[in-house]
Amino acid sequence: MSATRAPRGRIRLSGPDAGAFLLLALLSVMTIYPLFWLLLNSLKSSNDLFEQSWALPRTWHWENYPHAWRFGLGHFMANSVLITTVSVTGIVLLSALAAFVLVTRRFRFRGALHAAILGGLIVPPEVSLFPLFKIMLVLGIYNTYFAMILPDIAYGLPFTVLLLRAYMTLIPAEIAEAATIDGAGLLRCFWSIYLPLARPALAAAALVQGMRVWNEFVFALTFVGSNSLRPLTVGLTTFGDSLNTNWPVLLAGLVISIVPVITAFLLMQRQFMGGLTTGALK
Amino acid sequence: MGGLTRKHHRLAAALGPYVALAPVLGLLSVFLYLPLIFDVIYSTHEWSSLSPTWRYVGLGNFQGLLADPLFWQSLRGNILYAAVSLVFQVAFALMLAAILESGLLRIRWSGFFRIAFFLPSIMPITVIGLLWQILYQPDVGLIDQALKAVGLGAYAHAWLGEEATVLPAIIAVSQWQWTGYLTVLFIVAIRGIPRELYEAAEIDGARAWRKFWHITVPGVSETTVLMTLITIFGAIKVFDIVWVMTAGGPNNASDVLGSYMYRSAFRDDRVGYASAIAVVMFVLCSIVGGLQLRWSQRRSL
Repeated sequence: MSATRAPRGRIRLSGPDAGAFLLLALLSVMTIYPLFWLLLNSLKSSNDLFEQSWALPRTWHWENYPHAWRFGLGHFMANSVLITTVSVTGIVLLSALAAFVLVTRRFRFRGALHAAILGGLIVPPEVSLFPLFKIMLVLGIYNTYFAMILPDIAYGLPFTVLLLRAYMTLIPAEIAEAATIDGAGLLRCFWSIYLPLARPALAAAALVQGMRVWNEFVFALTFVGSNSLRPLTVGLTTFGDSLNTNWPVLLAGLVISIVPVITAFLLMQRQFMGGLTTGALK
Repeated sequence: MGGLTRKHHRLAAALGPYVALAPVLGLLSVFLYLPLIFDVIYSTHEWSSLSPTWRYVGLGNFQGLLADPLFWQSLRGNILYAAVSLVFQVAFALMLAAILESGLLRIRWSGFFRIAFFLPSIMPITVIGLLWQILYQPDVGLIDQALKAVGLGAYAHAWLGEEATVLPAIIAVSQWQWTGYLTVLFIVAIRGIPRELYEAAEIDGARAWRKFWHITVPGVSETTVLMTLITIFGAIKVFDIVWVMTAGGPNNASDVLGSYMYRSAFRDDRVGYASAIAVVMFVLCSIVGGLQLRWSQRRSL
């Protein structure tokens, strides 16, 4: 991105520069070491962990991983994959359609409806948990996948509409006009022109929302009661209880659950950062 | 034949945008806006979901909050969370970003640090919570062992078990998780500052600190305002990290508004009272969030 900016030479280890480098090195150790510790101790026996958690395993207990998997982790992971896939597809498609009409069509109440969508940015789900719980009961979807998927989608929409709308305003309006003259309807213009053109933004949005839904905890904690429906985030907490402090196996479970996120992040870093910095919200 | 189809077409074209927006607006109405209305209604009632009590009490629940020491203590928790977060996730993150972008490091190193700092922010909250529960364990946990190893064993604590240390310990985890995330957002902002400003300053012989103070800080001021608001917003609504690590304990010492509300609603079955806390949280959130929306709107003009 900024190849010309940093000097080509070696690190100049003198004075304040050396201080800054040491600070960064120390901070990155503080950040990374707990994750490394997690990996290391997931391969130990329980006793080994208690006696010397900082050291390398005395014997390497690779079987902690299949053990964790068999303990129900595989099922939690399947739930996470299902919930994330459906939610992200829903968020991206619905947001893209909304962003598309907001950008290309002129209609009455456009400004007000746009504001109603953006207003959702300042509604945190945390303040609505009990009412949502009641709504789930009334809709008859408490303790189903929908009790997680529908709020997951709803709370992802405002940010995604913002992101996709910002991108679609960059697409020249003449393209949509030309298509309309050619007789393409709203849906066709959306599906075969705007959607393909907005692909980079769609990918960024899918990544950001994918991470959010994969890591979602509060809805799954509150709107679902059976273990068979739980995603990894909540499953891991019950997993910890039932393992009876067999910590290395629990740690193996934690490692398994973060592998997909870290892989996705490292592979698609650039799109991910691009998606985050458009709207900058956590 | 033409008349009817053309009319039909025109109608479809006129209704099209509304139909396209309907799913989004419908989902937002049911799952974002309707709950807020329920919050307000519940908050004016005395209500528990197990018993049939449903009694209008007006502002009674809010008066109860004002007289409730635990409410104020929880709010203090949010304020402490906000204050510490502003120091680390705004001020310190900005400095980190400036160092990473200063050209002091080779690109490869700066990229490595950026990714390293960012990693915790993409981890699920339960992984963070369970991991740090173990790291904070007395004696066997990494923190206490590290303190003992460097001769500071006297400072070892049951970090999450003692009332004095539990909230700072949780807040520290949040700093660990989020500082790198905001650093990356600041990096993007710094890249938007024209290079010529730095080059001119270098010709004048300005030192790093002066460049930071006179070019970087003013150059990213809009982002800084936004990050400040986002951080305060996050501190008002904070819930999950507290719930995963301690659920507000021991003896409510780590309660924040979110955990106090959740417990009141789902464990103590005081729904009206919990909704009053939720309304307070939302009012605070909407003040900060409203400023944030207005600010970003102005910026995009």
